[in-house]
Amino acid sequence: MDYVRRYGIVVVFIALLVILAVTLPQFRTAANLRNVLQQNSVIGIIACAMTFAIISGGFDLSVGAGAALASVVGARLMIESGIPLGIAGALVAGLALGLLNGFLIAYAGVNPFVATLGTATVVRGLIYVSTNATPFFGVPMSFTVVGLGRTGPLPNATWIFLVVALTLAFALHQTRFGHYVYAIGGNIVAAAEMGINVRRVKLAVYALVGVSAAVAGIILTGQTASGQPQAALNYELAAITAVIVGGASLGGGRGGMAGTILGVFLLGLVSNALNLYGVSAFWQPVATGTILVLAVGIDSYSRRSVFAWR
Amino acid sequence: MNTDVVTGPGEQGGLMPTLRARHVSKRFGGVVALDDVSIDVAAGQITGLVGDNGAGKSTLIRILSAVLGADDGTIELDGAPVDFTSPAEARAAGIETVYQDLALAGNMPVWANIYLGRELLRGPRALNILDKRRMAIEGEAMLSRLSRTMPPIDAPTSQLSGGQRQAIAIARAAAWGSKVIIMDEPTAALGPAETRAVEEVIAGLRDRGFAVLIISHNLEQVFRLVDRVWVLRRGRMIGDRWLSSSSPEEIVAMITGATAVLRGQGGTA
Repeated sequence: MDYVRRYGIVVVFIALLVILAVTLPQFRTAANLRNVLQQNSVIGIIACAMTFAIISGGFDLSVGAGAALASVVGARLMIESGIPLGIAGALVAGLALGLLNGFLIAYAGVNPFVATLGTATVVRGLIYVSTNATPFFGVPMSFTVVGLGRTGPLPNATWIFLVVALTLAFALHQTRFGHYVYAIGGNIVAAAEMGINVRRVKLAVYALVGVSAAVAGIILTGQTASGQPQAALNYELAAITAVIVGGASLGGGRGGMAGTILGVFLLGLVSNALNLYGVSAFWQPVATGTILVLAVGIDSYSRRSVFAWR
Repeated sequence: MNTDVVTGPGEQGGLMPTLRARHVSKRFGGVVALDDVSIDVAAGQITGLVGDNGAGKSTLIRILSAVLGADDGTIELDGAPVDFTSPAEARAAGIETVYQDLALAGNMPVWANIYLGRELLRGPRALNILDKRRMAIEGEAMLSRLSRTMPPIDAPTSQLSGGQRQAIAIARAAAWGSKVIIMDEPTAALGPAETRAVEEVIAGLRDRGFAVLIISHNLEQVFRLVDRVWVLRRGRMIGDRWLSSSSPEEIVAMITGATAVLRGQGGTA
């Protein structure tokens, strides 16, 4: 049963990949594969950071609003002061939102659901107020290289995702910070008793999520060369879904970067398959939701029977 | 009944106790939890603390491990008065406490729990990279010094038995140059076989020269394990006995106050 839990998603992922490759000639084309990578890189960046929040026992509903904030702030600064300052401003905006979430959760003791739902609503509202909820253009077209360009075989957005994923995988699995994220999610009382600064670790987790949302927002800006108040709507739920499908538990303490990346691309493949088979786009949330419930259901069931044996 | 010649293993006659409390009092609001309580915890011995529920045992060990501060009285470590303001300070000075909840992260492997909060690092300092291999190897060595039945060092502690979990918590307490190990009901949740295994671990601590203080409700265990027992009743230290020259009847009488009891022979100055 442990095997099913650990490698179930790998098996499903590979099976899906093989079925699609065999049955759908259009799937195998380089253009389509690149398309899948391109479409899932942005959500992948957010999901990698979200993995930290979920393993620590929380989550962040403000990542969509954070990406939109970074897009709007970044685009405005790019138009007025140039691309480097725009990128820096977008990252600072994301960091500020992350620190605010972290402060509310770690120091004020606000529940992560309430804290990040609140900041998400406020931030999205402020963006709509300041932009009248309409996209604005004028970002240098050269910046679309970030969102649409390609270097070698891979889209540039995918290269950025790759760097983010490898860095965060290293941070989560090899460094003391990642270790403490697992400790806090596993037993927060024990972590505090053993001298871990629980609050500071949580603050760092939400700051990290905020910055990653900003990176996603910068790429989205690069896809359209515009500031997008509506950018990344519902990305928070897509990211959380990918992390959970990848084997993390909302209770905290469980999950991993490899699982999250598989989760992102499993959902991405399903959506691509539905597209290629010509299924209406309205079916896509049905498929995503079914996968989420199945993944968690199988996991919970296998867990329960393990306990029943003892 | 002469106990002066009785010495626990490792005890050298006349040596001062590692940890001692002198005339400690603690009130919670109007309730007197501890009233002029003194206790000695000596190296190379297992010291027992017994008493009915509400007698003040937990309050006393929380004061010894600096979770609580005393209203009156002093705590001495190696003969010098100390005034710790946090459990972290007491731990840094060598006083470790194993609480009933064990403070283990069940999702993490054995080695990670042994090193929790004190991880070994490698590589460039700024990156804080974990030295997992060394923690696994040295953690295993730490455990094997204490326990004959080794849990797999990479297994999450949630998959281990209660006795194994207890052994890990004790191994962690015994590392890091600690002198005093305080345990609150270390076998309360365990079956008979596991209790025996954990008792062996605790006896091993005595043999390695630690000053061990355990709270126990189980008098049979006290007589199997403990060298010298101290009895609390309603916040007062009724007395102490070397178990080699006492009887369960006497200890029960002291705990319950059923009969008149001689004052402790150990001398509480």
